[in-house]
Amino acid sequence: MDIGPYALQLFSGLSRAMVLFLLSAGLSLIFGVMNILNFAHATLFLLSGYVTFSIFTFLSQQFGASPWMLLPAIVGAVALMSLVGFALERFLIRHTYERELPEQLLLTFALVLILGDVIKLVWGLENRRINLGVQPIEMLDTLVNPYQFVIIGTGVAVAAGLWYFLHRTRFGKIVRAAVYSRSMVSALGIRIPMIYAMVFALGVGLAALASGVFLPLLPMALGIDLDIIVQSFAVVVIGGFGSMLGTFVASIIVGVVYSFSILFWPDGALAMIFLILIAVLIWRPWGLFGTEMRS
Amino acid sequence: MTQSDKKWDGFIDKLKLSRRDFIFSSVAAGVLTLTPRLAGAQAGKPYKLGVLLPSTGTGANYMAHAIKGLPLAIAELNKRGGLLGKHQVQMIYRDTETKPDVGAREAKSLILNDKVDGIFGTYSSAVALAVQEIIHEYKVLHFAATSNSSKITQDNYTPYTYQFCPDSNMQSGAVVVAVARMAKKNNWKTYVSLGQDYEWGRDTHKGFTTGLAKVAPGVKETRQMWFKLGETDFTSYITAIMAAKPDFMFGAVAGKDAETFMQQAGQMGLFKRVPFPGGLIPVNDLKAQRKTLPRGIIGLARAPFFAHLNEPIMQAYIKRDRAAFGPDGYPDDWAVMHYDALGGLDQGAKKAGSTNTEAIIKALKGATIDTGRGKRTFRDCSNQLNVPSYVGEVWDSPDYPFPIYKPETMIVVEGNEVWTPTCEEVEKLKKKRA
Repeated sequence: MDIGPYALQLFSGLSRAMVLFLLSAGLSLIFGVMNILNFAHATLFLLSGYVTFSIFTFLSQQFGASPWMLLPAIVGAVALMSLVGFALERFLIRHTYERELPEQLLLTFALVLILGDVIKLVWGLENRRINLGVQPIEMLDTLVNPYQFVIIGTGVAVAAGLWYFLHRTRFGKIVRAAVYSRSMVSALGIRIPMIYAMVFALGVGLAALASGVFLPLLPMALGIDLDIIVQSFAVVVIGGFGSMLGTFVASIIVGVVYSFSILFWPDGALAMIFLILIAVLIWRPWGLFGTEMRS
Repeated sequence: MTQSDKKWDGFIDKLKLSRRDFIFSSVAAGVLTLTPRLAGAQAGKPYKLGVLLPSTGTGANYMAHAIKGLPLAIAELNKRGGLLGKHQVQMIYRDTETKPDVGAREAKSLILNDKVDGIFGTYSSAVALAVQEIIHEYKVLHFAATSNSSKITQDNYTPYTYQFCPDSNMQSGAVVVAVARMAKKNNWKTYVSLGQDYEWGRDTHKGFTTGLAKVAPGVKETRQMWFKLGETDFTSYITAIMAAKPDFMFGAVAGKDAETFMQQAGQMGLFKRVPFPGGLIPVNDLKAQRKTLPRGIIGLARAPFFAHLNEPIMQAYIKRDRAAFGPDGYPDDWAVMHYDALGGLDQGAKKAGSTNTEAIIKALKGATIDTGRGKRTFRDCSNQLNVPSYVGEVWDSPDYPFPIYKPETMIVVEGNEVWTPTCEEVEKLKKKRA
């Protein structure tokens, strides 16, 4: 049996999974810690893509065109968008903590529309793309895009980094504690509002990283935020809100199942994802790695 | 730069800033003050033209030029006095978001609140079909300049709709002609299809497979793959296509999905392994993907300017757009089709001697009009304009800053060579309307 096609399908599924993970990690973190369902998360991802594009273009004009300009462009965009996230939380999101979920959704959906118009104002209607000039390489008797290794590597590195941050640093431990009991964290004299602002900034920063890494493969276009937010929500629900391990595993499940469904049952690829989602919601509503314990 | 030019630049900037519900009529009204009215012409009632096109959603990148360019074309028409030399055209723009429900809602709003006389649009066939129900109910003129499902002029026929682009059957027919030649030459036996899972994608695929089965029965489709509109990651589709090892692939992919697919497929080397003849590659994709589009790939276009450089009307389109949008501002297919629709409205009003909808639709029935694509005639039974489709090899021309189709390779298939079905069958397909 020729395993080549299956190995490649697994490879492309993992690549898809890592993009989903990078995007969903911030969404999961924000909901897990702050209990805010940020509908605008993918729109911040989109805005970050445009920002990365602009920094990349600026750097290429100043220092000459090179694929390596993508690195400082991503770093710049992550820093800038983290600040945007921090400001958003301080000026907007914090007013919704005591509100009902529908109100939070309305506010973040309003952000989707406002940020969409901001993109139109600044960048116009044309799609923005980055061409790194990557050439395909031969693998298992077929061709693959070597940039997919970069995506998979980034996803794994971010997962490891987040694990270290959440389990080995003091701030990370506070964040994890806040997932389970904000009042207890607050009772220990820790300023929850600042924790929230920093977590929101981190979440938006992760969205910016996802966007920058994906930019050489995906032209930034108005509307893609709404296209990807649904799968991102599916990942977070399957994995369990607030669980990074859950988000990572769910991303792999969604990415790989989707990829193999395309090979064997292309018409049902999307349905497969939502069947898994339904199953999780029925048997384990708090997600594969989530927990019921929460106050 | 003259004062007038500066004002135009400001005008264009405003268009870039357009909001979802931005009403262009106010801008157009400003433009009108800059332009002299025809001396002695008695001003008639303004003609309100609703324009339903997406500035968000999968069709946004295809419509950007048309949205910017139509106000210029209208201003130029208004300089001559407007329709019949006395009815200034006021454009009112609405974003359909490439969604049928939004398109239908905006069409109704344009008709009931803004009292438009006619509607141009839309991009998506699914949206156009939804809009048709509204325009038929209120008896409003509708020019489907770019949405091209054959259902628009056949199954869902209404006498108020006129179509200015090659419909999905005509377009698929053109690809069939080109692919059949290549299949014979290269001894192709199998192919895989990839399509957008909605009205246009399914319709285009059906037209192609049915047509190819007739002219090249030995060529078999081995797999079909459908993806949802707005797919952002095609890598799994691309590896699955390569795993199937077809002789070639057929694609019914358009809009930003086409841009994403081409970018990812190019980087994965798909076109080095699997020929992709007849994928939609209009002028805007040739421009946007000038660096990455694989040269030698066989594309399909609906109204490429470079195929009609000898037409005075096309020359005027090019001159106007390049003056307004810079040296790179050649009109894309979608803009050309909308300019032709505006020309059709102007000529329809002239033939009718009126801007009344019933008079215009009567005047345009089976009429021949001048367009950027030459003299073109509406098919009597369906109001489909007889326009060609273009298949050719993507090639770097020394004359343009982006690739075009290599002239020697370009196959221009006239609409009436491939439009199906027959008029008798079209009559049977037509929906029974109240």
